[in-house]
Parts: sequence; structure tokens; C-alpha cells
Amino acid sequence: MISLTVNDTAVRVSAPPDKPLLWVLREDLGLLGPKYGCGVAQCGACRVLIDGVSTPSCVTPLAEVEGASVVTVEGLSGVEGALSAVQQAWLEEQVPQCGFCQPGFLVAVTALLDRNPNPSDAEINEAITNICRCGTYPRIRRAIHRAAAARVQG
Amino acid sequence: MARILSRRAFLFTGAALGGTALVAGVAGTGYLATVDMDGPDGFVDGNRAVLNAFLAIQEDGRVVIQVPRTEMGQGIHTGMAMLVAEELDIPFDDRISVEHPTGLLPVYTNYALSLRTRPEDARGPLLWAGQRALGLVPLIVTGGSSSTYGLWFPMRSAGAAARHMLLAAGAARLGVPVAELTTSDGLVRHAATGRAIAYGALARDAARLPPPRNPALRPVSAWRVIGTPQRRVDIPDKIRGKPVFGIDVVLPDMLHAAIRQAPVFGGTVAGVANMAEIRRAPGVVDVAVIDGKSLAVVASSWWQAETAAQGLRIDWAATEAAHVSSASLGVALRGALDAGGAHVHLQQGDLSASFALGQERVVSATYEVPFVTHACMETMNATVLIRQDGSAEAWSSTQSPMTLRWGVNRGAGWAGVEPTSVIGHVTMNGGAFGRRNEFDAVAQAAFLAARHRGRPVKLLWSREQDMTHGTYRSHAAARLRAALGPDGLPVAYDAMVAAQSLQNSAMGRSLPFAPSPHGDRLTAEGLDKSYYAIPSRRVRSQHVPSHLPIGFWRANGYSFNTFFSESFIDECALAAGQDPVAYRRRLLRDSPRHLAVLERVAVLAGWGSLLPPGRGRGVALEESFLSIVAQVAEVTVADDGEVTLDRVLCVADVGIVVNPDSVAAQMEGSIVFGATAALMNAITIESGAVAETNFHDFPVQRLANAPEVIVELIRSELPPGGAGEPGTPPVAPAIANAIANATGRRLRRLPLAITETIGERRTRSVLAKEPS
Repeated sequence: MISLTVNDTAVRVSAPPDKPLLWVLREDLGLLGPKYGCGVAQCGACRVLIDGVSTPSCVTPLAEVEGASVVTVEGLSGVEGALSAVQQAWLEEQVPQCGFCQPGFLVAVTALLDRNPNPSDAEINEAITNICRCGTYPRIRRAIHRAAAARVQG
Repeated sequence: MARILSRRAFLFTGAALGGTALVAGVAGTGYLATVDMDGPDGFVDGNRAVLNAFLAIQEDGRVVIQVPRTEMGQGIHTGMAMLVAEELDIPFDDRISVEHPTGLLPVYTNYALSLRTRPEDARGPLLWAGQRALGLVPLIVTGGSSSTYGLWFPMRSAGAAARHMLLAAGAARLGVPVAELTTSDGLVRHAATGRAIAYGALARDAARLPPPRNPALRPVSAWRVIGTPQRRVDIPDKIRGKPVFGIDVVLPDMLHAAIRQAPVFGGTVAGVANMAEIRRAPGVVDVAVIDGKSLAVVASSWWQAETAAQGLRIDWAATEAAHVSSASLGVALRGALDAGGAHVHLQQGDLSASFALGQERVVSATYEVPFVTHACMETMNATVLIRQDGSAEAWSSTQSPMTLRWGVNRGAGWAGVEPTSVIGHVTMNGGAFGRRNEFDAVAQAAFLAARHRGRPVKLLWSREQDMTHGTYRSHAAARLRAALGPDGLPVAYDAMVAAQSLQNSAMGRSLPFAPSPHGDRLTAEGLDKSYYAIPSRRVRSQHVPSHLPIGFWRANGYSFNTFFSESFIDECALAAGQDPVAYRRRLLRDSPRHLAVLERVAVLAGWGSLLPPGRGRGVALEESFLSIVAQVAEVTVADDGEVTLDRVLCVADVGIVVNPDSVAAQMEGSIVFGATAALMNAITIESGAVAETNFHDFPVQRLANAPEVIVELIRSELPPGGAGEPGTPPVAPAIANAIANATGRRLRRLPLAITETIGERRTRSVLAKEPS
């Protein structure tokens, strides 16, 4: 049994220690927000926060998150489901098209703004390497700036 | 969920068999209007009053709209709901919800796509017969950018019919003539007495009334919803990680499957060296050969299935195709440009005389593009349950509940099982772009489900399987020639393209017959440039077969032919010493609608203003899927050859715009998709197999590469055209033209650049050195 915290809830998982966190979340814990997109940490659809750090869960073995705090897209909202500043910006800019990759973007951008509250475009380019095949990038960039501004004000 | 959906499907089907003409009213004017559309009469189902095939009203006043098209990111559920709301006279707010119907009603058939006409324009016995035949299938599919223009009339008519029924029910309830009643905000009102009844309270009565034959539609001047930017109905869930994609389907007692398919298309399984070992792997319950061509591992979790599949040591039987490569196919393609027997799609004027006249200035160029794949973020998957009694149920992120059903029947048939019934559930699609018309994964899952009767089986392809087993956009080559007259404009234009027929390949996979590969209009679309005033022209094609499956891919033939033709027109302009926009302006003298789009994008881009050294602008225009789009690309080319796509300005005339924000989003997405293909994408065949396996060797644009995009929509009162695809064709030629403008180098082959890795998951595009 491996113990960890997922979206503020303590859980104990009896899965093989080498099982990737992505599949533990999806198959053992029923959290379907993180998505399988590539399996090799290329696309970012599976990103979750591990102790605040945006991490591709598809290549993170369960054993590595023993005792860690994991946050998935489902855990980004606040009390009573209030949207986070990043989610609110995503709504205002109407970012998602198919939406499959967006959980990973929302997680990656949340981590970015936590450590750099007002990133430049160059810093955004460096930090946000997720793939969106629908091509929502222009809106994602706008939404990141909007979320940054809202967090500063808020 | 399954039980409820199944019951509703039964109700719809049962009512349809009753055979009445609900949506006869829906049809209005054309021939499609006058036939029985086989929708259900109104009926009451629990707390829902179903007024017609497209909408139901609950007792609490909530309106549930059935949209028989797949939501794959294009916002179609929102646009269609807006049309119903407009005619039903309700505000577009959260009292509206959208479902994809489960019943395969003929009225949901995509006539617009298959008959290439708007339903309201369909007239004549041929279209009538075609409509009847397609309705029997029924051919329900999302594609060809057809959803809005195909359902523009039916969805509004459904809303209008329902409003009339509610008014009639209100008149009966209040004991006043219908003429004294109005509607607003979901209420039927009687102004004279100040009384009002909510739709929710009238809906059950309304459901029992006959639908009107030809409900009047609101005039443009009365629209309050159409043409206003509305928030998408699917986005609130999508920012919380809540929507159910195919990959997210979870059912009780479900098994999971992973697959390995023959690396060389058409290959077969000769044997497995370690079958017994894999069968004993953790969680594995089955290892099965599917249709001789692939091996599946079934386990209690997908991670276990995939891990076991990675250990399979499979001997693949050699096939003749193992010697085929992209290089050998390229030789065949280019050779076909010079071979005889081409299919003539179009011939106007005296071509040879025109060439003789203009022989002093003949422009000729040869172009080429590689195979490309969709690389949808959600890899192919399907979940199928076949019960002991033979009934089947399937869940998939598919563009077509019809091919979903075909896939279940095909796969079950491989196991010798004939399902007694198939209910299909269309989930959210994680990208589609044409790929999800196919039922390959569905058939494989159905085969496995037939071996495990009573248990749902979810098959998920790994990214590597998805990349190497696509249904690819064909590689293609073309030669274009033009003779320029004294004014520099073409007097003759001659285009020849060689590619593998898409319709022949795609239909051959799903139907017992396939159309001839010769003269496939999808091979030649984008070459005729009919809107340009050119006295004589010819368009020809050659079919060059390969063993690869060719599939629908965003904008199909336009995705390469517009690159060819709009690059070529630029070459003609430069050969004539004229500005590319001014040149096209003169060619568009008889096409005012196209000209307006061109003029507007030129203004938006500041065409003609000076750019710093190393920067360039290119323009391109295309009419496709009943819409017109022009784009200007701005690039920077550094001394070391690094090319950056800085900005794309886009002007689109898609006719009447239903939801401007969704149309803009489709243009933005089309530009990123097209620019990715133009600069980065190639699927390479080596020893008969696809060489690329994942995003590290099939690079795509990320945030850092993506251009700034500015979209402007032309105001129009013409009926809607498509929006999902028309933004893609102009991108590649606009970029190539911009590179030519920046560097003087004309690039005639995609991808235009080499992708270099710079740091973790980041890339840059670099032009190949000029051959010395």
C-alpha cells in the first residue's frame, strides 16, 4: 500500500509501485481528468501537480509519489467548485475546442503562475510545452495573461 | 446511463416505426420537405415532453436539444442549440442542454454532405431518390464542414415547429385564439389579459398536437441569438476535467485491451514466440489474433494490457509492400505527372491555342507534399459490450454513429457473432479531423467483446499504434503550367495532380464496393481556381496507389491542391512582375465576393507597407466547403535559415455566422493545424511501415511556435457555409509565398522546413540549405 494525498484527500493505493501515476489516478482512483496522450512525457495531457510542481504523470511511477500531494484538474477549483483564476480565464477566453488536452494545460499554467506571477511571453513559451492539436494556443496565451492579471488584483 | 440511453433509443425508434411525419414540417420548401422524414410524433417520456426529433422540454422548463452531429471541438452543439433557441424564442442560457441522440433516425441523415446540397435547396427526382436511400442507411456523419449548413434549416424549423405547438397548446388552455398569443422568455403570453404560461407547463399538451407543415421562420431582422457571440455549452465541463471522452468510458466489470497491429499495412501475424508467457502476465485474461492482422492483449487494466503487449514477440509475415518507401512512392508520383491516361476533371477554352499564343511567357512548376496524419490528442479507442442474448452496445469518440454500428457488426462477425441489435453512444471526441470516421478500433473492440460476452471491453491504442496506423492524407505531386498574356495574367492554366484516391480507399474499407479511384473529385479539389478569370483551363488527375490507407484529413484535397495552386498563382504574379495582391485582384474581377475577402485581408495586414529585412508577407485565398477564406502570413527568416511564423491575418466569408466566436476559433485552429503541416509534418514510409512513432519524431506546433492570429468575419446574409476546414487550405501557400517574399527562395515541397529540437520539448523550424 502506498499513501499519498490526492486533491486534499488522503488515499492509500494497492497498485504495483512501478504503475505510472496517470494510470493509478485513472484506473485505481477514478480521476479521469488527467489524460493519456503520448505515454512518453511529450504532450502534457497527463500533467498533474506533485507538491506544486507540474509533472507528466504518465512517466511518474507510483512509488515516487509516496507521501506526496497530488493535484489533478479536478482539484483546481476552490470551495464549492469556485473556479480558480486560471479556470476563470479559460472560460472568459473560451479556450477549449475538443478539450482533451486542456486539463494538462490548466495544471501547467497553474504551476507557472504560482512560481512566476507575471510571466513574459518568452517565459510562457519556455514553461508551457503541452500540445493542443486543435490549435487553441492564441487563446491560451491570452488566457495566461488574463489569469496573471486577475491573480495580481484578486 | 446506459439503460436510460437505451430506453430513449427504443422510444425514438419505436415512434419512428410508427411512421409519421413529424419533421415533414421541418423540411419546408425543397424535395426533402415533401417526403416523410421518418421522425417521431411528439410523445412524453418521463418528465420530458419530446416535441420532435430535435428537442424536448422538461416540466421545469429546461430545453434539451438533440444534436445529431459529433462535438469534436468545433462548437457544433452550441451553434445548433442557438438555432433552436432562436426559433423557440427562449434566451440562450443554462436552461438549455445538448445531447447527442442515440437513435439513428433517418431525419438525422447528413444529406448536405452526401448530396452536396443544402436540404432546403434540394429539388428534383435524383436528389429525392438519393435522400430516401441515404435515410435508409441512415448516413449520419460529421464531416465536410457540413453540420451548420446542413442543419441550418432543419434545426430552426424544429424550433419553430415546437413554438407553434406550444402556442396551440396555450390557446387551448387559455381558451383564446392563437393569434392573440405571443411568446417570450420561455412563456406563452396573452397580452390582453396579462396571463402567461411557461413552456414547461404546456409541453405535455403540445407533444400531443400535430406538428405544423411549414412553420414560418423568423426574419433576419428579428434574430436575437444568431450572429451574437455565445459561450460554448461544453466549455464549463471542459475546464473542470469533467467531459466523458471515449477513453473515459467506465462500465461495470469492464475489461481493457491493448493492441499491436502489423507494422506493414496489409501484413499478417505469422506467430508469437512467447504467447504462453504473455498469457501468464499480471492481469492478463486473453491474448487474441484479430482478423489475422493484429494481436490484442486483454487484461483487467489498460496499463497491464499495454505492459504485456510491449513484451509480445510477434513474427509478422512478410508482404510485398515491405520494399515500399516514401522515396519509391515519390518516384511513382512524379512519374505519373508525365504518364498518359490522366482523368480530365475540367477543360475550358482552347488550351493549346492559348499556350501557343502566350508561349513567350510560360510559367511551369512542380510541387510535392508528403503523407501526413491527424495525431488526434485522444488516440483511437472504443468500448463494446456484446451480451449473451446477442444485443450489443458501443461507446466511442466517433464522427459517425453509423460507422460505429458498422464497426461493431464487422468485428463481431470476425468472431462469428451476429449482433441482434447495436446501440451506439457518441462520446466527446478528443480531436477528430476526419480520422474518427473510421471504425478500425471499433471493429477490433467488438471482436474482443464477442470473445468475452457479457463484459464490456475497452480497447485503447497507444500513441505509437495511433501514429503508425493512421488513415493518412495522401502524399501528392502536381505540375502546373500557365501561359501569361500581354497583361501578365494567365490566358491558359493547366493543372495536373497525382495522388492516391481518398474516396476509393476510405469507402473500400467500409463498404462492399468502392468508387473508381480514377477521377476522384477529392483528388483534384482546390485546383480549378474557378473564381479567377482565366480564359482557358484544364484540371487533370492521376491515381497513384499505395498500400497505405488514405483517409479524410482536414480539408482533404484542398490541403495540398491549394498549396499547389496558390503558390503557383504567386509564381505567375512574380513572373509578370506584379504584386501578388494586385494580381489576384485583377483575376477576381468577376468574383466580387472573393474580391471583398481579399481586399479586406490586405487592409488588415497592411499589405504594401514596408517590412524590415528578413521578414516577408504572403497571401493566399481559397473557396472551400461553401466558404471563402483569404490569409496573409508574415514570416521572419534569420540568417541561419530559422523561419518563424509571426502572424497570420485571416478574413473569412462563411455566409451568415451563427456563433462568431466559434467561427473565429475554427479559423485560429485551422491555421495552427495547417501551419503545422506546412512547416513540420511528414509521415515517412520505410520498408513499407510508418517510421514516425510519437510526438518526438512527428513534431507539431506548441505554444512557442504558434503564430499570432487575427480573424475577421465578413458580414453576410447569404446562407451559412462551412467553418471547420476552410481556414486550413490557404495557410501553407501563404507561408510559402511569405518565405519567397522574405528570401527570394521558392519552396515547392512540404514540409517547408526542417524541425530542430531546442531544449526540452521545444523546436524551431529551419529552412534547408539551398542546393549549391
